[in-house]
Formats: sequence, C-alpha cells, structure tokens
Amino acid sequence: MKIRNYWNLRDFGANLWENAGRPVRVAIVLISIVLVGLLPFTGGSFLATPIASFDAVLVYPVGMFVLMSLGLNIVVGKSGMLDLGYVAFFAIGAYTMAILGTTTKLNTWEVMPIGIALSMIAGVLLGIPTLRLRGDYLAIVTLGFGEIVRLVLLNSSWSKGPNGIANVPMPPNIGPLKFELENQKVFFWVVMAMILLTIWMIRRLTVRRPGRAWEAIRQDEDAAELMGVPTLKYKIWSFTLGAAVGGAAGVLYASKNLYIAPEMFTLNVSILILACVVFGGIGNIWGVVIGATILGYLPDRIRFISDARLLVFGLVLVIVMNFRPDGLLPRKKREKAIVKKEANA
Amino acid sequence: MAKIGKTLLKLDNVTMKFGGVTALNGVNLEVKEGEILALIGPNGAGKTTVFNVITGVYKQTSGIVDFDGISLGNQKRYQVTALGVARTFQNIRLWGDMTALENVITATDVHKKSGLVGALFGFPRARREETENRERAMEILRFIGIDEYSDRLAKNLPYGVQRRLEIARALGTAPKLLLLDEPAAGFNPAEKVELAATIKKVRDAGYTVLLIEHDMSLIMGISDRVVVLDFGTKIADDIPSVVQNDPRVIEAYLGVPADAS
Repeated sequence: MKIRNYWNLRDFGANLWENAGRPVRVAIVLISIVLVGLLPFTGGSFLATPIASFDAVLVYPVGMFVLMSLGLNIVVGKSGMLDLGYVAFFAIGAYTMAILGTTTKLNTWEVMPIGIALSMIAGVLLGIPTLRLRGDYLAIVTLGFGEIVRLVLLNSSWSKGPNGIANVPMPPNIGPLKFELENQKVFFWVVMAMILLTIWMIRRLTVRRPGRAWEAIRQDEDAAELMGVPTLKYKIWSFTLGAAVGGAAGVLYASKNLYIAPEMFTLNVSILILACVVFGGIGNIWGVVIGATILGYLPDRIRFISDARLLVFGLVLVIVMNFRPDGLLPRKKREKAIVKKEANA
Repeated sequence: MAKIGKTLLKLDNVTMKFGGVTALNGVNLEVKEGEILALIGPNGAGKTTVFNVITGVYKQTSGIVDFDGISLGNQKRYQVTALGVARTFQNIRLWGDMTALENVITATDVHKKSGLVGALFGFPRARREETENRERAMEILRFIGIDEYSDRLAKNLPYGVQRRLEIARALGTAPKLLLLDEPAAGFNPAEKVELAATIKKVRDAGYTVLLIEHDMSLIMGISDRVVVLDFGTKIADDIPSVVQNDPRVIEAYLGVPADAS
C-alpha cells in the first residue's frame, strides 16, 4: 500500500503539499517558479529541439498550449461543457492585437485588456443562446462558431482576408528585458506570468462558490438547478473566463509571431488543445499543464525524424490513453478522513 | 407535535398533459405550515409529476401553483428553490464526486449574495459567506446524523447515508417546504423506523414536509394528513386512519374485488 502511494504521483504530491507548513509551501512555489523560469537556459542540454530554437518552442507551442489548455479546462474540465471552437477566442485576441497594433499606436500591453474584453464579449454572445444546449449539441454549435470566426476573417477586407496581417509590433521592452525574435526568453517569462495568473484564478474559484457550482453542473445539471444553482449564469461565466484566457494568449501570440493569417486558426488547433486537456487529465490543473507541455514539446523534439514525427506523436497519444484513460494526472478527489485513518493504522 | 398553521402551498385545479396523456387532472392540494403531508397512490398515479410541477421541472398545462402568496408558474427552477421549496429525488441524484459536506455547502449557496468576482478577489463578504456556509452545512449534517461522513465522497457512501444526505442537501437551501420523493425506497424496516424519526425531527425543527411514499406503516406513523392520487386525480384527502379505510383507496390499490357485483 505504501509503495503504491509513491507511484501515485498525484496523491504523493498532494500529501507532500498538505503536510507542509506555510513557509515550506511558499518555498516550494518559489523554487518551482525559479526552476521553470530558468528553463530557457537549458537549451544546450538533451532537451534541445533539433530544428526550431528551444526558446521559441518554449513560447509557442509549449507555453501557449499550456495557457490555452488551462483556459479550455475551465470550460471542459471544470464545468463539463464540450467546446470545439476554442480557437475562435484565440483568433479574436490575435486579430485584435494585429489590427490595433498596425493601425493605432497602442502597444501590446495596452491592447491586452481590449483583446481580453472582446473575447469575453464574444464568449457571452455565443454563450447566452447556446449554453442551453448540452453535450454533443453544444459541441457542434461551438465547432460551428470556431469555423464562422475563421471564415469571417478569411473573407473580410478589414482582416486582409487570406493574406493575413503582417508587421504586428512586438511588445515594448519592460525595463532591461528586451523582446527579440532571436532570443525569446522574455516572451517565455511573460507567458509564464500569464499561466501563473490563470492558475491562481482557477484555484481561487475552484474552492469557492463558482467552483462548487461548476462541479455540480458538470455532475448533474438538473439537480444543480433544483438545488438553487443559477446554472446558465455560471456556465456563461465559465465560458467567458475560458474565452478571456484564450484571448490573452491570442494577443501575445500575434505580438510574438509578427504575422497572423486565418489559416493559423483552424479546427485543428481547437482539437489539439482539447487533446492536451484530455491527455493530461480533464479537470486537473497540473495534469493539463503536463499534458500540454508534452504535446507541445514532443513534435518539435522529434523533428529530426521529419515526416514520421506525426506518426510517433499519434502513437504516443494512443499508447498513453490506452494505459491511462483518464489522462496522465487524472482528477480524483481524495477522501481526507480515510487517507488519515490509513496513515495512522 | 408542531402547530399547524396557514396554507403554505396551494395547487388549484392543476392539470398536466404530455401530448395525449393526462398525468394530472385538476388536482387541488393544500399543504399547511408545520404539517407532514403524505402523497400516495399506485405507480403512475402522478405523484412525482406533482413534485415536478411544484419545483418548475414541468410547467403545468393549466391551473395555479401558489406558494406562500407567490405564483410558481413563471419562476425558473433555481428561483423556486430560492423562494423556499427544496426536494429530494426518487433515484438518488447527489453530486457523487463531491464530499458530503460540499454537497450541502453547494445547496447553502442559494441564499448568498457573493458571486464569482467576490470569490476571485476574496472580498470580505465572500469570505464571510464561505465560513457561514461551511458551518451551517456541518450543522445540518449533524442534525441529520451523518456528520461522521462529511469528508467522504458522496458516491462512496452507503446507500442509506446517501438517502439521508439528499435530505441534508435539500435542508441546505433553508426551505420552507421540503419535498421528499420516496425517501425510504430500498430501506429495511429498521432503517425505515430511523427515517421516520428523522422526518419527524425535521418537521419539529420548523420545516413543512410533503412526502411521497409507498410504505404504509411509515406513512400512517408520521403523517398528519394523507392525499391519495389515482390516474392523476385526487381520490382522498384526510387523516391517515380515515384514508386507510376509504373503499376508493383500497380499490385503487387492490382493484375491485371479483365478486363485487
């Protein structure tokens, strides 16, 4: 029994955390943040990606995937609504940055709140009519929404159609930290900060009323409503917060990539982000982080086998999902009382 | 014995049709404050439909549902709960992946003002309400007598405790009227006796109870009044001892004796 506990990483981690005092917890958090922050300096090691620059890979896809997966996890994992059009919010954020960045003097940080706000508005507008639907029906409608946004961008003159928008400005420097194409460490740190902020937000909400409401909705929506949970309101909140995270990721992406076009925002991205969530463990923040990291990093790490890499990628997905159908770190609530009793026995 | 007061819930000529099927046909029903009213009838008589109409799951085809002076016709389901009607389910519908305590806390949220923004930024009111809810939920678990299970996941609880947790969760919404849908289903005689005591205790604590049940000994033991439904129509409404001997009720349950004519 004891040995098993060590193999169960989630419980092992949770035990460590629960038994630690406040100073130890703060230390764990700070050390983890510093270690992850130092990741871009490990480019010379076995971690290095053969073709793309390691810094760049850490920002996109890895960092961005983690950020978007966390956002999608609020919708899919926390409140149990299958959203196949998540890329739409990413696109809205990115195009807000691209258009405002090229036509006005606003810089990335000033566009950020606008991009987030527009994504959230899109989330509410889509949510009010569609969140009355459930399950498969909701999935189809969101899928349609994702495609509509892409097609509008592809066919409108203000978005420059299929040509996309070039010369999106980079973010202005933050003090001594310079944003450069060749050296994307600063981008990585910004993505990291956004990820930390998102994790903070989710953790806060999860243990309080909204988290309970989402959990109740996910498990039995009718029972939730009959027990007084305003389900539509909390579903829209969930959708809107997910949209906000996606929009924020989009703004930064446009500003990092300098060029965006509609072809970057296809259904594939939505599916891939969903795969990250499922692969890591629906509903579990750390599972999602790990899942997105692996799925973002792996294709670039094995780029040396060129075309076969997608085959390997698919194989990894199939094998892992076969052995861990609930994801790498599944959501499972532990029963504190029992765990303690066993520990005493 | 609690004092029986004014009318709390009134169904006036309520009809509920599903296509060509009439589930309820002009049902009149009054629940008075402080009483335990049992709603009985053979399978398919429309008992659960009455609950579903009251709680807003279905909207009645015609008739009026009046709760404490407010018409429940146009209310959303969660608003009905907020007004003070809570129910349990015939087939247990707890949130299995939440602990017993969390199940009840979620129900206590209904009367709290703080929402998502307050929770996110930790406004004082949100923090205070979290503590209040937790304490009240724990109190309710203690009241129902299942506080030792507070940290267990609902799905892992023994069946009898799950049934009781359903009652606890409904009490979490601080209802004026508690609707119990077959709370003793699947219980053995000892458990039924225990449940009867619990229901009486709930009533004595000031809640009004409307109860659907099949077990006659349970009903005869605790209810102040019994309403009998058959094919969506009310056929009896009186104190238990009278209903028990009503020939129409016996007929509804057992059928007309073969040698009747």
